[in-house]
Amino acid sequence: MDLALTEEQQMIVDMTHGILEEHCTIEAVRQVEDDPRGYPEALWKQFAESGLTGMLIPEAQGGGGQSLTEAALVYEKFGEFLAPVPHFVSSVISARLLIQAGSDDQQTEWLGKIASGDAILTPAWLEPDRGFGEVGIQLKAKADGEDYLLSGVKRHVYFASASDRLIVLARSGDGVDLFLVDPNAEGITLSQQLSQAGDAQYRVDLDNVRVSAKDRLGSAGTGWATFNAVLHEGIILLAAQAIGGAQKVLDITVEYSKERVQFDKPLGAFQALAHYMADSTTHIDGGRVLVYEAAWNAAMGRSISRFAPMAKLFACETYREVTRVCAQIWGGVAFTIEYDCQLYFRRAKQLQLSWWDTPYLENLVASDVLDKD
Amino acid sequence: MDFDFSEAEQKFAVEVEQWLVDNHDPEVMDLTRENFSQLADTPARRAFMKRLAKQGWLGMSWPKQYGGQEIKGVYEFILNEALARHGAPQIGKGVGIIGKTLIRHGSEKLKKEFLPQILSAEVEFAVGYSEPQAGSDSANMQLKAERVEGGWKLNGQKMWTTSAHFADWYWVGARTDPEKKKHDGLSLFLIPMNHPNLEIQSLPTIGKDTTNQVFFEDVFVPEDYMVGKQGSGFRYIAEALDLERFTMFTLSPIEDRSNLLVEWVKSATRDDEPLRNDVNVRRTIAHIVTDTHVAKGLSKRFLSAAMSGGDKPPSIESSEYKLFTTTLSQRVCKDALDITGAAGQIREGEEDAPLAGRFEGAYRATLNETVGGGSSEIQKNIIARRKLGLPKNF
Repeated sequence: MDLALTEEQQMIVDMTHGILEEHCTIEAVRQVEDDPRGYPEALWKQFAESGLTGMLIPEAQGGGGQSLTEAALVYEKFGEFLAPVPHFVSSVISARLLIQAGSDDQQTEWLGKIASGDAILTPAWLEPDRGFGEVGIQLKAKADGEDYLLSGVKRHVYFASASDRLIVLARSGDGVDLFLVDPNAEGITLSQQLSQAGDAQYRVDLDNVRVSAKDRLGSAGTGWATFNAVLHEGIILLAAQAIGGAQKVLDITVEYSKERVQFDKPLGAFQALAHYMADSTTHIDGGRVLVYEAAWNAAMGRSISRFAPMAKLFACETYREVTRVCAQIWGGVAFTIEYDCQLYFRRAKQLQLSWWDTPYLENLVASDVLDKD
Repeated sequence: MDFDFSEAEQKFAVEVEQWLVDNHDPEVMDLTRENFSQLADTPARRAFMKRLAKQGWLGMSWPKQYGGQEIKGVYEFILNEALARHGAPQIGKGVGIIGKTLIRHGSEKLKKEFLPQILSAEVEFAVGYSEPQAGSDSANMQLKAERVEGGWKLNGQKMWTTSAHFADWYWVGARTDPEKKKHDGLSLFLIPMNHPNLEIQSLPTIGKDTTNQVFFEDVFVPEDYMVGKQGSGFRYIAEALDLERFTMFTLSPIEDRSNLLVEWVKSATRDDEPLRNDVNVRRTIAHIVTDTHVAKGLSKRFLSAAMSGGDKPPSIESSEYKLFTTTLSQRVCKDALDITGAAGQIREGEEDAPLAGRFEGAYRATLNETVGGGSSEIQKNIIARRKLGLPKNF
């Protein structure tokens, strides 16, 4: 047992930190809030040059072939710096969907470009008034000769306007299928929807959008199994992101509590506040080790059916609670746009609501524990 | 990064497990005593400790010159967790707090007298720190030690000496230097527990076990039964607690209680419906299982830090573990009673008690876990000061 990072892991962390420190300042983060593209191009270029965009893509396909453990460390940094980048949707979810289910042609066409940062792909998943599970996929894929016609509404499609392809989850006669769809195709309407975290997310209306069966990922009816497996990997990284964000907002709050004086002593000398911070750091450390163990299990090829949802459940709850407590310590200024605490406060809740929320994750854990014999 | 125990460590865990199965004895092992099962408080349990000693499993981490094997503390962790999982007595205060403090600070005489007895499980200790005026404020001990011809004369009172009614020796903090600052005026003594001037009074708890208060009336302690230097008592106590806090609250009973509850939920019904289909029950179970994994992670974090060496024990990791785990331990019992519903109140021994009344008992027995060994609030103060660098706040 040795929870220390290897030299190589530490190098990746340091490199990521260096890039983010220079290109992902708080000013840069604030600047792209509500922006239709949603990410600073200079930052994305750095990600591409450093190989971060291809880290989870095998070397043979132009990537770095790294494991989920390294990716979790990188995502902790994304959380720390509030990195507004399409990395998760493109370099994680889309790339892993292609790796799991894509044909040779599809992989050849897209994986190299995702790895080099030249193409951005994003999944179009959730639908109005529907949940996170398989049954929530009701967008129609009607067979029409060799083609399909897609009709329905998707929401929470991140970075859609900057994307080269959407990966649309649709219901055909065979079950759930994944289709590569050009967002500029006829019948598609993108409408940006402002969100709690100010990221670039879109409602996508599809009206008889024609796609070829060749643009389906995997064989007919296997879409949900693929997506479900990939999302299990993905949420471990979002859990890491939550831990990174929670750590950073706590760090700046601890520093503030040493300087800000009330009743002739620093805030941190008040036991009520010190105990908030002690609880926070304990939960963050507990969450971090859970996330690392989840990522490490994935990297070792072991089952993550329980670890992955546990990690996101605990990490996102911790992030949200830590931002609440930190805002309490900052006091009135946490309520203002000017102070940074609010940036974490809003993102923490959004992250908890997204990519499987608390009730869905609780049920995943419970199913793994109670429904198997 | 590696979350697994090494091959040798895993082999040891298997060996211990097999040995405990082979040596199963209901008179010795009692899970329903919860954290109190760690005490070697009956002749049968003391005999069991001697068998453990014969296995060479006491003092494994001690230096070779004192009869140890100088192997990593992780083996003691594995052993202790296995003992706790079986409700067996644990390696305890002798090998831990007292043995290690004697090795570092004790005189040759005390080492010679006590260390071999600890290794062969021939001696049981009671620890006397707390007093009526020294609870969380542990440095506020008032037990008076006056210099007399050839030694010291002790007068006053101790609280919460759990092992007083069966131990052989008493490890006691007393005020030798009242004119000095409170932390600097304390010294440690070893006193035979059967000293005629000690009066032990039982304080029954809401768990299955008793604790005690102990009254001192002119208790004479010879000079050479003071441990280490006069006035250094509090430093020794704090140092040992940093090392041993972790071992006082084992994880495996919590893990086992969680598993027990899960298995029960899987087969229970209410109004003819499987209980496991109840959304509230599912939520609760999800959080118990998740938090139990987190607690385990915090223990691995402590172990990893301890094994990677360094002079200082990983006291912050230890405090975070203790804070999180003891809180969780109580919560699991509370949640289990909520899940079992009205029947949860039926006590052990009654035929209808769900899970044989385990959680009604554990609900009581775990109450003290967030207080003993340094309360949750003390752990938070330690974390706030030592880890976050916040100013002293009390």
